[in-house]
Amino acid sequence: MRSASLPTLQPADLAPRTTCALSACRAGTRATVIDIECSGDEACRLRALGLCEGTAVNIIDARDSMLLEVRGTRLALGSALTAGITVQPVSARA
Amino acid sequence: MTTIQPSPTDSTTPVATEDRHDGRQELLRVAIIGNPNTGKTTLFNALTGLRQRVGNFAGVTVERVEGGFKGPDGRRITVLDLPGSYSLSAGSPDEQVALEVLLHRDADRWTPDVVLVVIDAVHLERNLFLASQVLELGIPVVIALNQFDVAQDEGIAIDVPELIHELGVPIVPTVAKRGEGLDPLKRALLTAASLPAPVRKFVLPADVEDALAPLKACLVEAGLTPTAAGMESLRLLSVSRSEPHLITVPQLQAQIQDAMATLKNRGFTPNRLESEVRYAWIAGVIERTVSRPRTIKQNLSDQIDRIALHRVFGPVIFLVLMAVVFQAVFSWATPLMDGIEVLIGALGGAVGDRMADGDLKSLVVDGVFGGVGSVLVFLPQIAILFAFITLLEHSGYMARAAFLMDRIMRTVGLHGKSFIPMLSGYACAVPGVMATRTIEDPKDRLATIMVVPLMSCSARLPVYTLLIGAFVPATSLLPGLTLQGATMLGMYLLGTVAALAVAAIFKRTLLKGPVRPMILELPPYRLPSAWSLLVSVAQRCQLFLRRAGTVILALSIVLWAMATYPKSAVDDTLPAEAQQEQQLEHSVLGQIGHAIEPVVRPLGYDWKIGVSIAASFAAREVFVSTMGTIYGVGSENEAALTEKLVAETNPVTGQRVYTPLVAIGLMVFYVFALMCISTVAVTVREAGGGALGWKWATIQFGYMLVLAYVAAWIVYAGGTALGWGG
Repeated sequence: MRSASLPTLQPADLAPRTTCALSACRAGTRATVIDIECSGDEACRLRALGLCEGTAVNIIDARDSMLLEVRGTRLALGSALTAGITVQPVSARA
Repeated sequence: MTTIQPSPTDSTTPVATEDRHDGRQELLRVAIIGNPNTGKTTLFNALTGLRQRVGNFAGVTVERVEGGFKGPDGRRITVLDLPGSYSLSAGSPDEQVALEVLLHRDADRWTPDVVLVVIDAVHLERNLFLASQVLELGIPVVIALNQFDVAQDEGIAIDVPELIHELGVPIVPTVAKRGEGLDPLKRALLTAASLPAPVRKFVLPADVEDALAPLKACLVEAGLTPTAAGMESLRLLSVSRSEPHLITVPQLQAQIQDAMATLKNRGFTPNRLESEVRYAWIAGVIERTVSRPRTIKQNLSDQIDRIALHRVFGPVIFLVLMAVVFQAVFSWATPLMDGIEVLIGALGGAVGDRMADGDLKSLVVDGVFGGVGSVLVFLPQIAILFAFITLLEHSGYMARAAFLMDRIMRTVGLHGKSFIPMLSGYACAVPGVMATRTIEDPKDRLATIMVVPLMSCSARLPVYTLLIGAFVPATSLLPGLTLQGATMLGMYLLGTVAALAVAAIFKRTLLKGPVRPMILELPPYRLPSAWSLLVSVAQRCQLFLRRAGTVILALSIVLWAMATYPKSAVDDTLPAEAQQEQQLEHSVLGQIGHAIEPVVRPLGYDWKIGVSIAASFAAREVFVSTMGTIYGVGSENEAALTEKLVAETNPVTGQRVYTPLVAIGLMVFYVFALMCISTVAVTVREAGGGALGWKWATIQFGYMLVLAYVAAWIVYAGGTALGWGG
């Protein structure tokens, strides 16, 4: 839940929605997973962990590897994976 | 295959199978499955207590833990703890085993009557994915809604009756940590077997169902029940490799390809299909049964992680924690280890006093008590180390440690989780090898097992101490650091660097495989249950005593015999210690020493060192006591031994036998050589048991021996060539 104060419109909000690699997102970003491009085994594991196409993720920490909130759980993903996941950022605190 | 369906009306003729293990009647077989970090093991420990059997699933290195509890009529309910799994999609060998048991296709033919799915009430959404798969197997299911208290604390309200209605199976809220909800759970398990098996709770689009029909038919023909075949047909669409349990099904891959092609034509993405339909159903269930607070409380775990995973503080906290563990294993265990040694020695002495002098007495005192003592002495270290490991695991910190170490370990091709076993290796390789069980990837796990014994363990310490004390001067290098201390540190560093290098080599050769990218769940921090901690530690200790103990005992007796026979005429006029020395020289072991003298010559050793090395193949610290015996000073008198070593000269050349160079070479030899029966026994077991286990244990022993020999030779020959021989 956001705070009660009214959101201020940012110029970026008017730009068309674009997709990017998950690894390119900064900490604090909220994004929707568009596509998972990695080996079948890993994609299968990610989906079982609740990270599927269409899932909303919160990026908690972004360094070499990433820390995500997915369906109320915390996942740490290596850089090899986050580079292959395409997301559509919904909002960015940064 | 025996099906057990105790009917409530027919209590006089129970249909039961004989328990294969203890012959008592078995009423019901329950398999427990659940996501990792749901409290599944805690629940299992709470249900079964200390009476657990730990082994491996046939043919794989996956741990199999079975326990049981008594039913209302005194008969036994057997519970099998299946490995923690996020899904049945067999991403790891653990999940593969779970799947095989649930499909009645495991090698042991252990067929569950009821499946207990443990679900974390806090993370219902993710946990329901596995549950939805299990519901379709055609086996009665009971769900334990665990950590119900935590969910309530966080304001998550779950409408349990409504959830029961949605899933169509008994659901029991539990708090495994405090043993709450166990009785209703046991009752639910007992009655569940007579309930009809649940079925799929959502309907697939008709054109999907239709596209999957041929694949499903093919699986039914192969022996799966129609419901299980339905689950498998959907699941196989997202699995890219062929799985062992279905390898015999004819035309399976072709059928899968056909189904995928049809689905693609109809506009579906086959490999996403299962997760899409299951999570869509789950979203509906959650909406109808769960209400969350409008404002989410600031999560305590996130607050802890802000520090524990901090770029600077994170590694510092990690290092401090590891130092505490290391220190505890080293120092807390010492009085206990000394106590055990004294106790065993006293017992052996007491028994020996009641026996006539002779071989039988020697066998009992030196062989049996000495041998058993050498095993038991490791027990405190193992118990303390596993208490810490379990604590770190159950509290949730272990996943953070793996996260922090992942980058460093990745450079040598290992996983972040390989770090803990390697650290444990500094105390003792045995618990270190046992600790590799937390590594999912079998190749990473084997590579870690292979290098753990290179970490200098506490048993090498007596060897280092003796040789450094005798041959390295206590010159001060820096304030607080002498040459002796630096040499000791050097030995530890040498082992560590070698372990990382060898791991990298294994991962690029024999255990070549893709470096799996990190996928790690960071579970919320939890206060672990003391009872579960106790059960887990007891389990490890029991495992160590039973498996390694038998092998070590047998080999200790063999070694004793080799040092005792054949008997030779000794000069009675000599002092007792000199008699011992003569006897040893003529024994099988002594003859071996002479036989291997040409082999150890290039390293600068004589037959006496050869014998000591041969004798210490079972346990490194025996080197010191054997040297004591050979030099006739007894094993207790280390100062006298040091004196003798320094003074020892070659009778032919008149030169000193032990130059500092020989001593350093000998220490380097012990850094690398795997002279420990316990480690060999535990590697055999952990690397897969049987022929497979022996293969890896042989490779491990072999490469370490070669490494030790070559390194010791380089030190001696290189040093001599450089003129440091004096």
